[in-house]
Amino acid sequence: MTDTTPVEPTDGQTRDLSGARDMIVCENVSKWYGDFQALDGVSANIKEQEVVVVLGPSGSGKSTWIRCINRLEIHQQGRIVVDDVELTNDLRNIEKVRSEVGMVFQQFNLFPHLTIMDNVTLAPIWVRKKPRAEAESQAMALLERVGIPEQAEKYPGQLSGGQQQRVAIARALAMEPRIMLFDEPTSALDPEMIKEVLDVMKALALSGMTMMVVTHEMGFAKEVADRLIFMEDGQIVEQNTTELFFSNPTEDRTKAFLSQIL
Amino acid sequence: MSEISSAAATAHVPAAAAPEIPKLPPRQWAKENLFSNPFSTALTIITTVILLTISRALLSFIFNPIRQWDSTATNMQLFFTRAYPDEQYVRVWFCLAVILILTSVSMAVWQAGSSIPVARLGRKFLAGGALLGILTLLAPFSTSGTIKWLLAAACVAVIGESTRRFASSGGTERTVNSLTVLAITLAGLAASLWVVPYGHYTYVANREPRVLAEEGTVALTTKLPWTIMLLIAVSAFLLGRWIRDRLPTNPTRVTLLILWLLSPPVLIYVVLRDPSFDMGHVFSTDLPIFVSYAIGGALLLSWLTRPSTGEAGRIVAVIILIAGFCTFLTPMRMVVRLDMLTLAVFALAAPTFAGGPRNRRRYVLGWLGVLSVMSWLITSINTPSTVTVPGGFFIGGFSITLMVAVFTLVLSFPLGIALALARTSTMPIFRLLATWFIEFVRGVPLITILIFFSIMVPLFLPRGMHLGEVAAVVIGYVLFSAAYLAENVRGGLQSVTRGQHEAAEAVGMTTAQKTLFIVLPQGLRVAIPPLVGHCIGVFKETSLLAIIGVFDILYIGRIVIPGQTEFMGSTKENLLFVSVIYWIFAYQMSKASQRLEQRTGLGER
Ligand SMILES: Nc1ncnc2c1ncn2[C@@H]1O[C@H](COP(=O)(O)OP(=O)(O)OP(=O)(O)O)[C@@H](O)[C@H]1O
Ligand SMILES: [Mg+2]
Repeated sequence: MTDTTPVEPTDGQTRDLSGARDMIVCENVSKWYGDFQALDGVSANIKEQEVVVVLGPSGSGKSTWIRCINRLEIHQQGRIVVDDVELTNDLRNIEKVRSEVGMVFQQFNLFPHLTIMDNVTLAPIWVRKKPRAEAESQAMALLERVGIPEQAEKYPGQLSGGQQQRVAIARALAMEPRIMLFDEPTSALDPEMIKEVLDVMKALALSGMTMMVVTHEMGFAKEVADRLIFMEDGQIVEQNTTELFFSNPTEDRTKAFLSQIL
Repeated sequence: MSEISSAAATAHVPAAAAPEIPKLPPRQWAKENLFSNPFSTALTIITTVILLTISRALLSFIFNPIRQWDSTATNMQLFFTRAYPDEQYVRVWFCLAVILILTSVSMAVWQAGSSIPVARLGRKFLAGGALLGILTLLAPFSTSGTIKWLLAAACVAVIGESTRRFASSGGTERTVNSLTVLAITLAGLAASLWVVPYGHYTYVANREPRVLAEEGTVALTTKLPWTIMLLIAVSAFLLGRWIRDRLPTNPTRVTLLILWLLSPPVLIYVVLRDPSFDMGHVFSTDLPIFVSYAIGGALLLSWLTRPSTGEAGRIVAVIILIAGFCTFLTPMRMVVRLDMLTLAVFALAAPTFAGGPRNRRRYVLGWLGVLSVMSWLITSINTPSTVTVPGGFFIGGFSITLMVAVFTLVLSFPLGIALALARTSTMPIFRLLATWFIEFVRGVPLITILIFFSIMVPLFLPRGMHLGEVAAVVIGYVLFSAAYLAENVRGGLQSVTRGQHEAAEAVGMTTAQKTLFIVLPQGLRVAIPPLVGHCIGVFKETSLLAIIGVFDILYIGRIVIPGQTEFMGSTKENLLFVSVIYWIFAYQMSKASQRLEQRTGLGER
């Protein structure tokens, strides 16, 4: 975990992050799949310790954008700078960014042939070159933090969806990232498991992690997010602090979207 | 960490708690499954008639008095080792002992065997007795023979039924470990060698009469070694249990795997072939080459595995790889080239294993180990053998069948995996080369490749370098097998989902790490059934080696034995025997694959 302390305890109030530095900078990012333009000049900055929730209808490019930030997708125009490292074709930069950015997927994507413990320790041991004993004690601490220390020796297939997603969060945290990306982390979960995952994410936000979250969980957005970004057709339509976004949306498309989901 | 055993423990808990599906009594089972409607009744009857007819034909064939089963019994040694000299035969037994020890220890360490209900064993015996009875009635026996066999069948059935009764009497279900059953069966067989008059057959080529057939038990030179083998196997199993309980699991397993990999070349080239080393040459040439590679490689690799080396290391590794290929353009000893290529592989993999001093020391030690074994083996192979055998390779029969199969598979697996990775790689040049190679090799009949390699390879070799004809052919066979393997592996690799790739990339793994830790383990697991099918195919098609004059078991059964004056035309008997031997091994392989699938499938959804 990062050892930075929260700027200010969050209790649903808007925090003042204006003094913090930019962790993610996107300038005019565009991406095409063949002829189809999935991202169209996306520009946004995300500050250290900020929690940003990205909203938008299906197919609006939320996943594409968030995946560009750790180079799972390659943007074709514009600039993406993560923690002062620009994403280019240079492999070293990509490796550096990926080891600083943790990602949690909708489909968990745990490694099914490895135990929970090995899932969490694999990257620290081989990418961060940590001694095994140290990696394992860290993994135990993380599993405790996400509330499933007793499952360490099981395989992913023996866990519930909510437990798997929490392992996936622990796996990402084990790399001690400075930024966490979540792409619809609760969409594949049964309703009764959503809360356990959201609780872990809330705690993470409170600890001062920089987070970018694609989600349809409005409760989570209202309670935890510092800022909301609304996308449609590969463009950012509107972004604002949480309070203002819900209380006073300016764009018609935002209003329409909000009226649909609230 | 014992991932597998602990997973097995957890996985078994719900299985034990689940209620057992009640078994139907036999009559009802038959009614529901065999005679449920007129159609299935007709099918059942037709199938039964066909089976009975086939069995009857087979039995009449086997027990026909004109069959020369003596030819098979007399030539047992020929079948398995061909003309390996009698005075050296202890080497063969030594090899068998080593393999048995490795097998038994591995079975104990990997916890082979399962507990089976005694009642089921009893039912099997009962069914076996009944089957024996039916077959006896079908067979063309004389009245006294029929009575004798029927009595035996009745005995088996009675033993089975009483076992079953005994097992279900106590209320609690009695179980027995399958390995105990195996040990008892083998002990029974070994004991029978000492008491049952199987007959004492020998074939001695340079003596008249060449064939000896006496009443009584088998020769001492057969029953004594086999008894010792059994004792060795059992003691090795107990030793394995001791090891399993006292030593850490993972190092033990790795050691065993390394021993398994080393045993075929060592047993064949060092034990069976018995090279006579020319010490002058070893000290003047082989040793200096080894020492310089050992020291140079160790220094280089300890630099390459430093985490701070970074990009420069990759460049150096590629340069070494290119240098390795360049050694083939100049007249140089094969050892030098192979050492260079091996070093290049180690150098390329070094960044993946970079880390603290412990990691680096382990990596360098790995290099030294591989280099030592390689140098020693190459020296052994290039040294003349002291075992002289008339005509051809120093060993033949089933030994060479197994040897060629094992070498081909062991060598073609890494090559096949590498080809599959290349074919799925993002680098177009690798993809193109791999695709061409695979498609070319798959388009050419195996026989062509074998003949080509047996004739052409010796012509292409640099002067002063000898490669036995068998080795040349094995190289061809390896290439052939690797091309097919690559396609099976590729199928498995492609079944690994995109999400798995992305998850591995997202935690910062390099392509090599992702392939090694995530893609290959999952892809190979999926590919187990086709891979085992391939292994069985390679094992059986070794018989094609006969066309280059290798005396494999099929050739011996088909040509050599029917050509002996005493056993003219005994082809059918010996072919049947050879088929049974092939079948036993192939069947064991496919059983092993099922077990492997179950074990590796444990945690999967
Ligand atoms: N690999 C691909 N090839 C071609 N088109 C793609 C690919 N991935 C996404 N797209 C297209 O890009 C657009 C944006 O996709 P994206 O997955 O980013 O949407 P999203 O906002 O995450 O939607 P959802 O809420 O459904 O997840 C969609 O129209 C989709 O069809
Ligand atoms: Mg999406």
